[in-house]
Amino acid sequence: MPGDHRRIRGPEESQPPQLYAADEEEAPAARDPTRLRPVYARAGLLSQAKGSAYLEAGGTKVLCAVSGPRQAEGGERGGGPAGSGGEAPAALRGRLLCDFRRAPFAGRRRRAPPGGGEERELALALQEALEPAVRLGRYPRAQLEVSALLLEDGGSALAAALTAAALALADAGVEMYDLVVGCGLSLAPGPAPTWLLDPTRLEEERAAAGLTVALMPVLNQVAGLLGSGEGGLIESWAEAVRLGLEGCQRLYPVLQQSLVRAARRRGAAAQP
Amino acid sequence: DSSVYLRYIFNTCFRTVEPLEYYRRFLKENCRPDGRELGEFRTTTVNIGSISTADGSALVKLGNTTVICGVKAEFAAPPTDAPDKGYVVPNVDLPPLCSSRFRSGPPGEEAQVASQFIADVIENSQIIQKEDLCISPGKLAWVLYCDLICLDYDGNILDACTFALLAALKNVQLPEVTINEETALAEVNLKKKSYLNIRTHPVATSFAVFDDTLLIVDPTGEEEHLATGTLTIVMDEEGKLCCLHKPGGSGLTGAKLQDCMSRAVTRHKEVKKLMDEVIKSMKPK
Repeated sequence: MPGDHRRIRGPEESQPPQLYAADEEEAPAARDPTRLRPVYARAGLLSQAKGSAYLEAGGTKVLCAVSGPRQAEGGERGGGPAGSGGEAPAALRGRLLCDFRRAPFAGRRRRAPPGGGEERELALALQEALEPAVRLGRYPRAQLEVSALLLEDGGSALAAALTAAALALADAGVEMYDLVVGCGLSLAPGPAPTWLLDPTRLEEERAAAGLTVALMPVLNQVAGLLGSGEGGLIESWAEAVRLGLEGCQRLYPVLQQSLVRAARRRGAAAQP
Repeated sequence: DSSVYLRYIFNTCFRTVEPLEYYRRFLKENCRPDGRELGEFRTTTVNIGSISTADGSALVKLGNTTVICGVKAEFAAPPTDAPDKGYVVPNVDLPPLCSSRFRSGPPGEEAQVASQFIADVIENSQIIQKEDLCISPGKLAWVLYCDLICLDYDGNILDACTFALLAALKNVQLPEVTINEETALAEVNLKKKSYLNIRTHPVATSFAVFDDTLLIVDPTGEEEHLATGTLTIVMDEEGKLCCLHKPGGSGLTGAKLQDCMSRAVTRHKEVKKLMDEVIKSMKPK
C-alpha cells in the first residue's frame, strides 16, 4: 500500500495462491433448502464493552460490541412536540452509529484494512434494520455505537452481524421494542432455480441472487431487507422473503436462551 | 452482612475517586486488587487454528485481554534489493470494539506503535528466515500478512500480540509450489501442505512502573493508566534478548532491569510449555 504510511509496508501487489492452483473447487452439495445451520450465541463476553455478543453459524463468526449512550456530536437540534410515553421530540432523538468491519483474514482473499464501500453499505444496512427496534426517543441527544467485526465469512455474514448486533444491544441494557433476527438467502442457479436458506460461502459465491431479511420476531414486523441479483419472477422473491422470515422465527429461542444465560452470569458475578 | 455490603460500596467508591491511593494500599502488601502477586501473570489461554479461511490463526487471552491473529499467505515479487527473500507484514488493529478509547478510522498512535513493535520482534528474533519464503529468486516469493486484531483491551496487548503471532505462525501451512519450466508460471498443489520453519520462539514480558520504583508484571488496563512507565522485554529460548521496548516513562536502575530479565526468562518457559501442550493436543490435519 504505497501511500499508507501508518501501516507496515509490504509488497506493492500480491496474488493469492488459489489463482495458480490446478484443481477446481467442488460444487456445493445438494441439501434441504430450508435447513438452518446450528447457531452458537453468547452474550456478555467482552469486558470493556457495555454490551457484546458473539455469534457462530456454520463457518461464519461474528463479534459485536455496543458502547454508549454517549453525548452525540453535532450540536443542538430543534425541539418539537414530545413523543408519547415521555419520549423526546423527534428532532432530539438518539442516534445509532453502526460500524461493520471485515477482518483481513475473513474471506478467501485477503482484504487490506481500509474497508471501502462495501463495509459502509453493510453498516448502513445494519443501522436501518436496528433503528426500528431501539427506543431511541429514550436517549435524547445521545448516540449508541454498535461495532460489528466479521472474523470468518462462511456465508450469510450480514444476517449474522444483524443478529449479533441486536443481542449486543440487548446485553447492554438498551431499551428495545424487540430483538432483530437476520437470515440470509441465496438463489441457486440452474434449470430449476431454488432459494436456499442460510447459504454457505460456496453457495453464495455461485448464486444468481442474494437476499438478507431482518425480522422483529415478537412484533412480527420486518425491520430490514437487502437484496441484489437477478431473480426471475416476483413471486419467487416473495416466497424467498417468507422463507427467510420463517427462518428468523426458528432462530429466536436460541437467542432468548443466550440472553438469559448472560443475565444469570452477570447476576452471579455481581455478588460481592 | 450489611457491614460487608457497606464495605463493598465504600471500596468501589474509593477505587473510582482515588484509584492511585487504592492501588498503593495493595502494593504496600505486595499484592494487587485482583489478588495477584507483583510478579504473577493473569490466566493465559490460547486457541489455535479456529479461523478456517486463514492459513494460520490463533486466539490468545491474557485475563480479559483478547487478541486474535490471522495469517494469510500470498505470492509477490521479491524486493529488488533482496531477491532471495520473502516478506512478513504484521499489522495490529485496535478497533472501537475492544475499548471505548479507540475511534474508527485509520490506525491511531497506539496501533502504529504496536505494529512497529511486532515488526521489530519479527526482524530481531529471526522467527522466520525470510530466505525460507523465497520460491524462485528474483521472481516469486511468499508474503505472510499477519493481521492482529485486539478484541478486548484490558492492558498488556504487546505480550498478547507476540504470543498470538507466534502461535499463528506455528499453525500456518503453505501449499507446495513449483515453477513450470515451460510456461514460467507457478503451479500450486493445495493438497500438499507443510508447516513453516519456526527458528526461534520469542516471548514478550511486560512490566508497569509505579511511583518510579515498583515493578509489576502483566499490567491490566487500569494499572497501565496509573503507571509512571512501562517496559517490555522479548526473550527467546536460549535466554537471548531479542527486543527491549521502553517508551519513555520513569528511569530504571541496572539491577531492576536484571530482575525484569530473569522474570522474562521464567515467563518464556511458562509460555513455551503452554504452546507445546496445545499443539500436541491438536489432531494432525
